[in-house]
Amino acid sequence: MPSTTETLPSNGRSKGLFQNTAGLSTLITVTVLTLAWLAGFASRLFAVIRFESIIHEFDPWFNYRSTAYMVQHGFYNFLNWFDERAWYPLGRIVGGTVYPGLMITSGTIHWILHALNIPIHIRDICVFLAPVFSGLTAIATYLLTSELWSRGAGLFAACFIAIVPGYSSRSVAGSYDNEGIAIFALQFTYYLWLKSVKSGSVFWSICTALSYFYMVSAWGGYVFIINLIPLHVFVLLIMGRFSQRLFVSYSVFYIIGLLLSMQIPFVGFQPIRTSEHMAASGVFALLMAIGALKYLHSLNPKGQWKQLLILGGMLAAGLVFLAVVLLTYMGVIAPWSGRFYSLWDTAYAKIHIPIIASVSEHQPTTWSSFFFDLHVLVCTFPVGLWYCIKNVNDERVFVALYALSAVYFAGVMVRLMLTLTPVVCVLAGIAFSILLDLALREDEVPEQSPDSEESKSLYDKAGKVKKRTLEAAPNADTGLGMNVRSGTLIAFMILLMLFSVHCTWATSNAYSSPSIVLASYGNDGSRKILDDFREAYGWLSQNTAEDARIMSWWDYGYQIAGMGNRTTLVDNNTWNNSHIALVGKAMASNESAAYSIMTMLDVDYVLVIFGGAIGYSGDDINKFIWMVRIAEGEHPKDIHEVDYFTERGEYRIDSEGSKTMLNCLMYKLSYYRYDSGGSPPGYDRTRSALPGNRGFKLTYLEEAYTTEHWLVRIYRVKKPSEFNRPRLSLAKRKISTSNTISKKTSRRRKGALKNKPTVVKGKKVGKLE
Amino acid sequence: MNFKVLLLLTITITYYEGAAQPRAKGIEEKVQQLTDITAKKSVIPLNINKFKEYVKSPPRDYSFVVMFTAMAPARRCAICQHVNDEYLLVANSFRFSAAYNNKLFFGIVDFDEGSDIFQMLRLNTAPVIMHFPAKGKPKPADTMDFERAGIHAEAIAKWIQDRTDVQIRVFRSPNYSAAVAFSTLFIILAGFLYIRRNNLEFLYNKQLWAVCAVFFCFAMVSGQMWNQIRGPPFFHRTKTGPVYINGGSHGQFVLESYIVAILNGAVVVGMILMIEAAGGVKNHDPTRTLAEGKRRRFQSVVGLILVCVFFSLLLSVFRAKTQGYPYSFLFK
Repeated sequence: MPSTTETLPSNGRSKGLFQNTAGLSTLITVTVLTLAWLAGFASRLFAVIRFESIIHEFDPWFNYRSTAYMVQHGFYNFLNWFDERAWYPLGRIVGGTVYPGLMITSGTIHWILHALNIPIHIRDICVFLAPVFSGLTAIATYLLTSELWSRGAGLFAACFIAIVPGYSSRSVAGSYDNEGIAIFALQFTYYLWLKSVKSGSVFWSICTALSYFYMVSAWGGYVFIINLIPLHVFVLLIMGRFSQRLFVSYSVFYIIGLLLSMQIPFVGFQPIRTSEHMAASGVFALLMAIGALKYLHSLNPKGQWKQLLILGGMLAAGLVFLAVVLLTYMGVIAPWSGRFYSLWDTAYAKIHIPIIASVSEHQPTTWSSFFFDLHVLVCTFPVGLWYCIKNVNDERVFVALYALSAVYFAGVMVRLMLTLTPVVCVLAGIAFSILLDLALREDEVPEQSPDSEESKSLYDKAGKVKKRTLEAAPNADTGLGMNVRSGTLIAFMILLMLFSVHCTWATSNAYSSPSIVLASYGNDGSRKILDDFREAYGWLSQNTAEDARIMSWWDYGYQIAGMGNRTTLVDNNTWNNSHIALVGKAMASNESAAYSIMTMLDVDYVLVIFGGAIGYSGDDINKFIWMVRIAEGEHPKDIHEVDYFTERGEYRIDSEGSKTMLNCLMYKLSYYRYDSGGSPPGYDRTRSALPGNRGFKLTYLEEAYTTEHWLVRIYRVKKPSEFNRPRLSLAKRKISTSNTISKKTSRRRKGALKNKPTVVKGKKVGKLE
Repeated sequence: MNFKVLLLLTITITYYEGAAQPRAKGIEEKVQQLTDITAKKSVIPLNINKFKEYVKSPPRDYSFVVMFTAMAPARRCAICQHVNDEYLLVANSFRFSAAYNNKLFFGIVDFDEGSDIFQMLRLNTAPVIMHFPAKGKPKPADTMDFERAGIHAEAIAKWIQDRTDVQIRVFRSPNYSAAVAFSTLFIILAGFLYIRRNNLEFLYNKQLWAVCAVFFCFAMVSGQMWNQIRGPPFFHRTKTGPVYINGGSHGQFVLESYIVAILNGAVVVGMILMIEAAGGVKNHDPTRTLAEGKRRRFQSVVGLILVCVFFSLLLSVFRAKTQGYPYSFLFK
């Protein structure tokens, strides 16, 4: 982002200007923020430029589908929407199981634009929503950092967050997901919270609560806010920084925020019924108790009141804690849910909830992913933290707690890198701002004696300070000296430049793949687009019955529903583990056992992803072991993970593979009739092996469609009347009848009619009974 | 005649011996004996004779799970002790559970008491847990794979359920050690604060808190949590020498994460040095003497070198791990 690299030096310099001319400083602020917005927007467009304006990946497809539904049918119908296309035969009450903030946001934008007669398709709004919001995030970060430190630091932080890969990973164009707008809501809520703590005004507290309401409606990560703000209050109480401002701001925020958050149907009564929210109520009670004690203290400021205050505070804290524990024990408050509990007890999910452990973004984070997502910020943000703690005040306590908790969560789960990134940008912005501020300012100090015109000219030519300082070189012996200063500047400019090229590179290479359209590059650099997914989903929507039920692994549920418009059994909203396990069991069983499950679930088509022909590693065979694990969790009698490994414990698909593996449904559907993929026909390029079981026939299914590169394979489940009947030799087909004639009575002889009316000449024939 | 006598004698002796030491005990008798032993001890210690009698010889209608181990301190088998504890836990859980029956027995063979059994089964490692099914020979899957399943009692119970269809609910006596350690720490901390109640200045020492916070950040950012959860080796030994840096971006070694933490730390220290040399954030006017200026210049240059050099090192380590990463600084 060349524009950003240019903006970075200017704001370090601009610090000095703020003190003089307000207009100029506002101009610089606005310019830098606009450029940051533009740079952030532009760097997220790689996917659109390379491919087209499409929705990416998995979850965005559901969000897009619900948004389209809402735009078409209206908000109230959306809230009451019962989606029978998902989780067949259970269905899903969509209105009550989503965070509607994302849909409402893009729906509102759509409505406004259409009111202005700008006919833009809802899909384009969805695609570009996240990049647009990245600019708003940059502004919110600027405001937050300005509250914490200075406006210069704020500009740095805004520029950082606009392009940092840790945030753009979730907000590239087409990645239409909750996180895209939630990070803006998160930063803005924190800004308003600091503002209200600083001012103690009810107005800012209510603004905080409203912003919190938007966050609750947008993302499940709101739990982070409702725990971090109470933690901030609690730490301030421990530090003896209780004040009337804190009292007003927290009590107003808590009450209004609680009531508002319960208006979201998906959240409902959770804020008063679950452990995740209890910290907030506990701190509220504690704050009330301490407020009361303080009041008593103010009535009689002399005497033993101070010790009573401390003792009473501790007593109140103990009481609140015991009450929460007791209520949890009695079952009034639900204990920590598995997803949150696994953040504390890191081994929990692996043992108890394989479906959480199976998702790659729930893995712990290596140092290289930290570095990849944050680059130079990762080793400079501790500097900002250091100075925030050394020059502590109410707000900086908050940012320190934010940094420490977020860095822990990011270490446990790759996905939570997203919550760490904003605070890292804030702190690194502070660090860079302090350093460059000092390095640039000091040459003014000895120059105060010369005429003021020179210093004015310095401001006017803001872009050329480096050159000027080299000329000046005043009094180098007492200060840092020109050489050191310019060396510092050059080195840090290089670091920032490296940062911006790294960000562009990372966003372009790692985070801009739509993953429903794949690209492969030939040796000559030519690009080939593999559009198999859309080909298959298009086939489904054109060639299958309207109500056909498609069975696939849950990863593809949203895409089938969104693009194929067909009913799915399981999808990416993994709310029903046993249903998923049933599908896993079908995939892991042999054909006949799978058939009984499939008839039970009324499956019409089975869809599998097979990457062997093109070497696509994210295919179903590689995910298969998780299907086995999840199925084993629910059906331990029928599925054993060990059976799918060789005796030496390897996961193989060639002739060494275990028999169960080579005969399960997933294997057969992947390799049925497979003869592409390299020098020996039928070679699997993903696993670099020749399949062990080949040339088999399918009894209960028939191939319906296979895409161009074998990536998606669709099979039709046969009806019971269509099975290949066992082939009989010609001789066996005749039923020999010679022995079967009974010779008992003439009446029961072969071919004789029972109660045959006897015909007597001249008489009327009696009626047959 | 002589032959006849000899034959008779032979028969008599054979018969006599057969009567005295029945070569194969009946099933009921064996089960009875085993049940008696189990009543006293949930795990039956086996030597070569008992092993042959109860485990190897054919008339059996019970499964036998045997752990081969080397518990003697001289053998220096650290893991044996852990496995033994877990194994005993499973055996006891079975022994005192409602599902207890005489279709499954637990045995133990120590290397120092039954090395011939180890030879017979061609075992050259310990510990090994094997299952001897009621019918037929043990298959390869009848040897428990610690590497895949782990050594926890739950894993052993699951494996036994896999092999024998006997479901054992492991009953672990609740582990209070964490709670005890935590409360001890709390008491020590509280006591320490109480003793120093007149001198709590150190709690207000911002430097201390800042150092703690920054170190916590280093630990997390260098992936200590990943180490904790995944348990990688300290470093990797190969034929060409030790490897300290894992080649892939999805893995890391413990030593590698320490190196990265130090590199990060050096960059931070360098930056703080530079800021302090330039006057710090407090904005107090530094003393303007020649010596002072010299010292500050020196400090600033040291800081700058620290930042540049160590950041470049970090970048090149990252570059080595990430395929196709195009950028570097100072070093390749």
